[in-house]
Amino acid sequence: MPDLVGCFMPFLAVGSYRIRYELDGPEAGPAYVLVNGLTQYAELWGGYRDALMARGFRVATFDLLGQGASDKPALFISQDDQVAALALLIDRLGDAPVFLGGISFGGLIALRYAIDHGDRIAGLALMSTFAELSPQLLLLGNALRTGLILGGTGYLQDLLLPMNLSDAWLGPQLGNLEAIKRQGWLTNDVYALQNLMESFLEFKPLTPQLHSIGVPTIILNGEFDFLTPRAVHDTLRLQIPDSALVIIPRAFHAFTLEKPALTAHLLSGFAEDVLSGKWKGDRSVWIAPENPGDPLIPFPRGHDHLRAIPAHEVSP
Amino acid sequence: MSAFLGPLDATGRVPPQQQTRVATFLLSCHAAMVRQLAIALALQTKAAWHTELNSQLYRESEIVSLLLRATSWAPDPELLFLLPSWETAWLPRPTEGVADRAQAFIIDMAALGHALHAVIRPAALLPESGPLLDPFALALRKIEFESNRLIQAQILFLKSADLLPFRSAVNAAVESRHAQVRKLWDDMLSGIGVERGIDR
Repeated sequence: MPDLVGCFMPFLAVGSYRIRYELDGPEAGPAYVLVNGLTQYAELWGGYRDALMARGFRVATFDLLGQGASDKPALFISQDDQVAALALLIDRLGDAPVFLGGISFGGLIALRYAIDHGDRIAGLALMSTFAELSPQLLLLGNALRTGLILGGTGYLQDLLLPMNLSDAWLGPQLGNLEAIKRQGWLTNDVYALQNLMESFLEFKPLTPQLHSIGVPTIILNGEFDFLTPRAVHDTLRLQIPDSALVIIPRAFHAFTLEKPALTAHLLSGFAEDVLSGKWKGDRSVWIAPENPGDPLIPFPRGHDHLRAIPAHEVSP
Repeated sequence: MSAFLGPLDATGRVPPQQQTRVATFLLSCHAAMVRQLAIALALQTKAAWHTELNSQLYRESEIVSLLLRATSWAPDPELLFLLPSWETAWLPRPTEGVADRAQAFIIDMAALGHALHAVIRPAALLPESGPLLDPFALALRKIEFESNRLIQAQILFLKSADLLPFRSAVNAAVESRHAQVRKLWDDMLSGIGVERGIDR
């Protein structure tokens, strides 16, 4: 295998760079590939790996270029290279159906993959994701980059934690936050994070290409997501034909960290529905249950899902 | 082998032997940057760069001064062999593929600075339960924090529109300096029982 260059953990070769990945679960089973958010690393999907494997899935996780144990290009990271790395990993999975999920920045990479290689996947799960930079998101991104430059990874974490997680999660952790931040601080290098952020300098909106995504797509959005609010997810819902938007109650941007059991259940349920032919996207809007395993609830008819107060829908 | 400095001595300090080896490495590379910046400042004709070069010169000098004061030194005969190899590594090597000799030297200086500030994370060597107020530990934290800011000048320069025609050459120079600094840093740490990337 010419692209296996590691000894203890497997690596993929993408040009001159190495991508660390992990592959677990039954080889014959349908596969889930999970793509990290900007400041994440593959180990953060550990709970998903176990939950999805228990439902018969093979699970692939990896560190993007610039993250964790993958190579960190010194000056430039192109999103095209991230998509190429993802394509190499998916190529390793053989002929079994592949479901692709990504959170935030990772969702964007998954989205780009689905646009370019839609025929290779059976389903797409977009979590806290966007297809274009709204003015608010652009300015927030710039501010976060400035925070990283002036205060390092620790300050970026200080900004992201309260922005992306709920009081219910943060409250019990207040005395332990330094320990929680430490692993991310050790794993992330400032210049590499900055390169990842600056890969948006050449970013072009993906919205005009979304209609070409023909695979079933579930869009998961935290009820209180401040960083990527409902409207940016609604763009995905409206443009991707076979999609459904599911709102995660009481959740913020980082609900994959805060509600792993619920999210893993939603991901496996989506894939099982697709495989059994039960999935109907119809650009519908749903509310996720509070507890894993409970049924999804249709968003109340006649109310505007883009509003926080129960406003009546206005016809366009 | 551990990913962190230690075990800490009875007073909770990083052992002086480790302090000496780490501090000497850092002194060697940051003093080399001071020398190169001083020369660049003297020769630089672009007035717009004087402010940044001057700032970099004095902040690198501060790192050197801080380490000299904050380190608990111990005799280390191996430095007789190690130090010359480190000093040789920092010598300027004009970037290949850039015809203008002065520019080729400046690119290499920025590439070396980028590598030193990006690859070397001295604070990440401190154990989680490590000394909070020990002068050496404080110095390592200060150096890493300042590195995050110092590197911005190198990033702006190396990614600047002026250097776009030489993007491949510049990228190769920076990657090469990164690989060099990473190997020397890892080898030095290995010599004092520290291996980055394990036990984390």
